[in-house]
Amino acid sequence: MKLDHSARIDAPVERVWAIVSDVPRAGRLVPGVGPVEPLGADRYRGTLRVQIGPVRLDLAGDIEVTSRDETARTAALRLDAADHRLGGAVRATMRLALTQATPSTTDIRIETDAQVLGRIGELGEPIIRRKADRIVSELIANLAREASS
Amino acid sequence: MIAPFELVRAGSLAEALELLESDPEAHVLAGGTALVLLMKQGLLRPSRLIDIGGLAELRGIRMNGDLRIGALTTHLEAERSALVRRHCPALASCFGTVATVRIRAQGTVGGNLAHADPAQDPPPMLVALGAVAVLESGAGRREVPMEDLFVDVFETSIGPGELLREIVVPPLAEGARATYVKFLPRTEDDYATVSVGAVLRVDADGRCADVRVALGSVGPTPVRARRVESALRGERVTPARLREAAMLVREEVDPIADARGSAAYKREMAGVWTERALRALLP
Repeated sequence: MKLDHSARIDAPVERVWAIVSDVPRAGRLVPGVGPVEPLGADRYRGTLRVQIGPVRLDLAGDIEVTSRDETARTAALRLDAADHRLGGAVRATMRLALTQATPSTTDIRIETDAQVLGRIGELGEPIIRRKADRIVSELIANLAREASS
Repeated sequence: MIAPFELVRAGSLAEALELLESDPEAHVLAGGTALVLLMKQGLLRPSRLIDIGGLAELRGIRMNGDLRIGALTTHLEAERSALVRRHCPALASCFGTVATVRIRAQGTVGGNLAHADPAQDPPPMLVALGAVAVLESGAGRREVPMEDLFVDVFETSIGPGELLREIVVPPLAEGARATYVKFLPRTEDDYATVSVGAVLRVDADGRCADVRVALGSVGPTPVRARRVESALRGERVTPARLREAAMLVREEVDPIADARGSAAYKREMAGVWTERALRALLP
């Protein structure tokens, strides 16, 4: 399942980059994410709670920053998380790119490729896609708020 | 396989509300047709179910100018009720098209709404009829217009500690007609590709005095076709005008592609079936 989000944020690119490249801080901008703990070597551990109607997913897993380019302001992440109670897992890669639009605005693009495995998949792709889409959209909205405040 | 859970039978509405308040993780069991399926799929593993099946306060169908249908009324009871048939025959027949007769005899009107499956039949019909949901909690009672009850797929504005008590359906205005149609290209008991609930009132001059249209299966919630409505209100309703207005619904729906058709096909069918529903209501 592939998602592609783009938006313009009212903040200079350095400021947006400072937030997104700090994984625990960026994690706080994702709705449903619990505290993100650093494990060293750009690896982190965290949880994500997603509610889809009566069904609640409690995903716990690792985030790894697989590449990070401070000059081009791009980064790639790998997420690997499971819900052991319901039985199911999410594996995703995210590619993030920031470009300066004007000195005071930044274009952000987040490309997500997620695989949903196990029982969680029974919810059906359209529902999962809609939820994932909303999570990334809220992340960008929260990021825009934090960066421009 | 269903994981073990505790079943608590509420003896009264007050007790059910107390149980709900003390355990926000508990799930409410009414007819169980949706809940038990989710439990069998393993998607839901509640530690406790509150069985409200015995609550007399939530049963029965009454008239006091408005039609009031208790949340625990089954679809079959609602379909066959003389009160519902007299108040709004289209609503009775809408209840009669839900799933199969076995499910209609088990599933409840309130449970169906609380489940908020966008492919269900009663939600668009009730939105078109301007129905209201009555929610009860320890803090009191509040009324929510049906179109604000549905928030997203499987999500409603019923808050923690709240229970859907009944639905209130106002009477149709003098001269208004209502209908519910659904497009089932596969089998009779399938989910609809698109469904339309509509109410239309045409005055003596042949002008549209009022119209309400809502669609099911073509968005995360029932979709109120406001553009179609405003294109018709006050206008003389000719077949050509009706078609033109109905086709505006294609810009209002947000269908997903599945085995019942691509998103583009469903969008097109939403226009076709909106036109058919409205045409059936012409005097």
